Amino acid sequence: MSTASARPRAGRLLGLLTTLALIIIAVVFFFPMVWMVLSSFKTNSDIFSAPFALPTSIDFARWGEAWEVGHIGQYALNSVIVTGASVFAILLLGAAAAFAFSRYRFRGRQLFMGLLALGLLLPLQSYFIAQSTMFTDLAITDTRLALIIPYTAMGLPLAVYLLKVYLDSLPDELFEAARIDGAGDLRVFWLLALPLLRPGLATVAIFSALACWNEFLLALLYIQDDSLKTIPTGLLAFSSRYVTDYGLLFSALSIVTLPMIVIYVVFNKQIIEGITAGSMK
Amino acid sequence: MKANRAVTPYLFLGPALLVFGFAVVLPVAMTAVYSLTDWNGYGSMTFVGLDNYVKALGDSLFRDSFAHVIAYIAATLVLEVVIGLCLAGLVSARRRGSLWFRVAIFTPVMLPMVVVAILWAFVYNADFGLLNAALEAAGLQNLQKVWLGDPSTALLAISVTSGWVYAGFYMTIFYAAFNQIPSEVVEAARLDGAGEWQIFRRIKVPMIRSAVTVAVLLCVTGGFQGFDLFYVMTNGGPYGATEIPTTYLVKSVFTFGNVGYGSAMAVLLTAVVVVVGLILARFNRQRPEGARS
Repeated sequence: MSTASARPRAGRLLGLLTTLALIIIAVVFFFPMVWMVLSSFKTNSDIFSAPFALPTSIDFARWGEAWEVGHIGQYALNSVIVTGASVFAILLLGAAAAFAFSRYRFRGRQLFMGLLALGLLLPLQSYFIAQSTMFTDLAITDTRLALIIPYTAMGLPLAVYLLKVYLDSLPDELFEAARIDGAGDLRVFWLLALPLLRPGLATVAIFSALACWNEFLLALLYIQDDSLKTIPTGLLAFSSRYVTDYGLLFSALSIVTLPMIVIYVVFNKQIIEGITAGSMK
Repeated sequence: MKANRAVTPYLFLGPALLVFGFAVVLPVAMTAVYSLTDWNGYGSMTFVGLDNYVKALGDSLFRDSFAHVIAYIAATLVLEVVIGLCLAGLVSARRRGSLWFRVAIFTPVMLPMVVVAILWAFVYNADFGLLNAALEAAGLQNLQKVWLGDPSTALLAISVTSGWVYAGFYMTIFYAAFNQIPSEVVEAARLDGAGEWQIFRRIKVPMIRSAVTVAVLLCVTGGFQGFDLFYVMTNGGPYGATEIPTTYLVKSVFTFGNVGYGSAMAVLLTAVVVVVGLILARFNRQRPEGARS
């Protein structure tokens, strides 16, 4: 046996081992979710007696029940509204601010940029106590604004930073040409900068949307009204209402989880790009 | 016209600054002011100077909560960053398609932490939980535990849950960084007879040092701010074994109405996060040029 053929064979064995390791790891990672979905089709006694067994039948009635009695539709709608409004505000205000920083030199520019940069590092704990007393005084707790305002504020620093980097990389001549053609500032922003920013806006939209969709602490503090709760706090309320109805709880968890998996499978390229850009601040 | 142009940038910047100033800057300043007072949130406010800070530094529960969160961060550095690095190494050592694998590992990142927390509370459930059932199936009944109810395992159990979510996240970051290493470098090492492990350890990892630093920064500063898993899975229990600064200060303020004291703890926590963050960020910048990001 020559070394020339031994090496690729060893390589192939190694490759096989790597594949095997990856399969095992993937199964271990995925198993809690599989278990969750399987358990959603089981009765309490089946969940207790045979945790690994397949359900006797696939009956989505429990999912329907969880959706109905758990108000999951309402929670999801609230999450959509709050996330949608926050992301829209982050994109619009963030793009405008990035445009100001990138295309103009003005008094206070450094100061304001520093202020926003600080926002990248400040933990939620540095402001949520006073924020909650402010919101109570202004009577905006238990309204959707109580979430939309802080979510927008929290999303802005990173949005402005990333969008400014995008704008800085565009050639000056583009903007000069538009101005020579007589376009005003607003037109330049709206008709030139925003369309050019589209890839950057998409990235910002993805990680902002995920952050808003999953935010828990502020939603817990500011929203007591069950009809305004978003998915995280709504699901927690649901889980304390039906503590022992495990099948129902597993159904609710599955309903919330599966769309996220589908979204991820479809948009995985954009999501990974968005998340990694979002983390590389 | 000229006077007009001078106002323009402020018009573009204004709305963002207004929202950020109102919802972040102003409350940061007010929290700092609260921290110098004795206040229950609605009654009269008494100025007490640095008393709250003195109290916090002497509060054994608060100090313990820092010990817990530091243990948690140490555990997650291994469970998230180190494992994420190894997973990325495994995936990038393969020469073709591993998308399905990255999908499987990354999915938990998409889920709300509350969903993860409820699901894993079930995994750890003593009566029907997946973990105890798996131990039983493997004939390891003597290792079965009430995972979240036992002070000696609760913190680790939460750390593992966090690892389940974020190992995939860091893997994704490292995988992207590995992909930027010029393939000639790896090929050259391979021709010189270096094994895959050596290539990983001596070439790939050192070349993505910047990404590793960022991951450590995110893991450490994020760890100090952890809340969701702790609140849902144990809320500080059992017997305070998983009490971390965030859960402790939320309880102080929103359960016991100690706004002043809670604010002082919030300021201390903020100081720790900012200082650690700046040190790690600086460490990244001082890296010699040449190692790629």
